[in-house]
Amino acid sequence: MPSKPPIISLKSVHKYFGTYHALRNINLDVEEGQKIVVCGPSGSGKSTMIRCVNGLEQHDEGDITVNGHMMTTDEKTGNLIRQEVGMVFQSFNLFPHMKVIENLMMAQRMVRKKTKAEARDTGMKLLERVGISAQADKFPGQLSGGQQQRVAIARALCMNPKVMLFDEPTSALDPEMISEVLEVMTELAREGMTMICVTHEMGFARSVADRIVFMDEGEIVEAGEPETFFANPEHNRTRKFLDQIISH
Amino acid sequence: MQEIINWSDEFLAGAMVIIQLFFVSLLMVIVWGLLGATAKLSNSRIARGIANGFTVLCRGIPEFLLLLIVYFGSAVTLTNIARSWDPEIRFMDIPPFWAGAFAISLVIGAYATETFRGAFLGIDKGLVEAAKALGLTRFQVFWRLRLPMMWRLALPGFGNHLLSLLKDTALVSVIGVQGILFTAQQATTVNHKPFTMYLTVAFIFLALSTVIVVTMKCIEKYAYRHLEAAR
Ligand SMILES: Nc1ncnc2c1ncn2[C@@H]1O[C@H](COP(=O)(O)OP(=O)(O)OP(=O)(O)O)[C@@H](O)[C@H]1O
Ligand SMILES: [Mg+2]
Repeated sequence: MPSKPPIISLKSVHKYFGTYHALRNINLDVEEGQKIVVCGPSGSGKSTMIRCVNGLEQHDEGDITVNGHMMTTDEKTGNLIRQEVGMVFQSFNLFPHMKVIENLMMAQRMVRKKTKAEARDTGMKLLERVGISAQADKFPGQLSGGQQQRVAIARALCMNPKVMLFDEPTSALDPEMISEVLEVMTELAREGMTMICVTHEMGFARSVADRIVFMDEGEIVEAGEPETFFANPEHNRTRKFLDQIISH
Repeated sequence: MQEIINWSDEFLAGAMVIIQLFFVSLLMVIVWGLLGATAKLSNSRIARGIANGFTVLCRGIPEFLLLLIVYFGSAVTLTNIARSWDPEIRFMDIPPFWAGAFAISLVIGAYATETFRGAFLGIDKGLVEAAKALGLTRFQVFWRLRLPMMWRLALPGFGNHLLSLLKDTALVSVIGVQGILFTAQQATTVNHKPFTMYLTVAFIFLALSTVIVVTMKCIEKYAYRHLEAAR
């Protein structure tokens, strides 16, 4: 069987903020349908890495390829990639002045050039899928955090992305709302979506991830399947980190 | 009272003139404000320099003076140009209405530049990133997100500029625009009732500014309905 090229590929990627070396020689291949969980201490470069994948940050060295397109500084290329990559943020980032359904329709109309009816239709289907179709005509500010994050996931899915990026999607949520968001993500994973999730929800990682990537000080320290990663971490730094988050 | 009635047609005509002046200037104010704010926030040093020069000048010179400079400056230039074609020409000017609208719009536009700039800076960066991440182009992000967010943030400050703009329309009588103040001056020379006449002008301005205040209230109510709903 001819193996397909990875849908996301980072090769020797470096990123600097001024003189600060935020990403050091990142290498990561993600096959279609794979779920990658990224963890690591604060400031280790997790967000920076996934933001480089869709060009919200520009990397300085190395190659990033997404769905066959090589990321360049060119606005057009970045845009082409972002149209195929969904992203969910820690702080939801819903457009506050638009109703929930309008949040879901905007990019479909602007980017996919769908008609109002088509966009609304897709939007309602996805709201149903994340279990909040009753809130379609409310403003984001009227929803709970968990509901808002589910809207954000639905908004990204409306674009029918090939890949979904999650940057700590549950970190801003009250504990009782975390599970409703994780359920949606688990469901999405089961349907075969390619995902990179930055999260410290280790239960989710254990049950969903094909691979867990541990980052520290801008490097990928180690990466492995959940069983080996949790049972026998190779590096001391990984062990220390796991001890810390599990004891919490 | 009889005097006001005698001059009511002229006052009405004068009111129409300042209302037109107000709307024409308003359009220009929005253009200057948007251009100025985008220039100040741009990466181009030249654009920033020009915009800074614009706001320093137009906020630093008394508006009355700026009006005279714009009107007579343009008239002198125009006259000189016209004379080079036809030496017989004694005087040529931009119609005072347009010179006035332009001069006022520069002043208020300079203030609007700062208001818009602050509002653009107040936009949550996360929202812009979310829109980008959905695949919108930079241009689409500007039209569909930055601009709608910006004007909401700018609204309270902009309402104040509208009141200043209205009041500045009183200045243009000095270059011969026949607004209500001009009407009052003319009436006074005939009926020698300056107090009554100027009081009438004051009431007309008060009525118009009340309309602006009420309109802004309605617009704010619409613009912030999502905040109201979320309470
Ligand atoms: N725009 C920026 N300008 C300067 N430094 C930045 C910028 N963004 C991130 N950094 C720095 O880069 C490093 C990595 O940041 P990043 O946000 O990727 O970390 P993270 O692993 O996501 O951390 P957290 O768990 O706190 O979200 C940090 O030291 C941060 O201070
Ligand atoms: Mg982060």
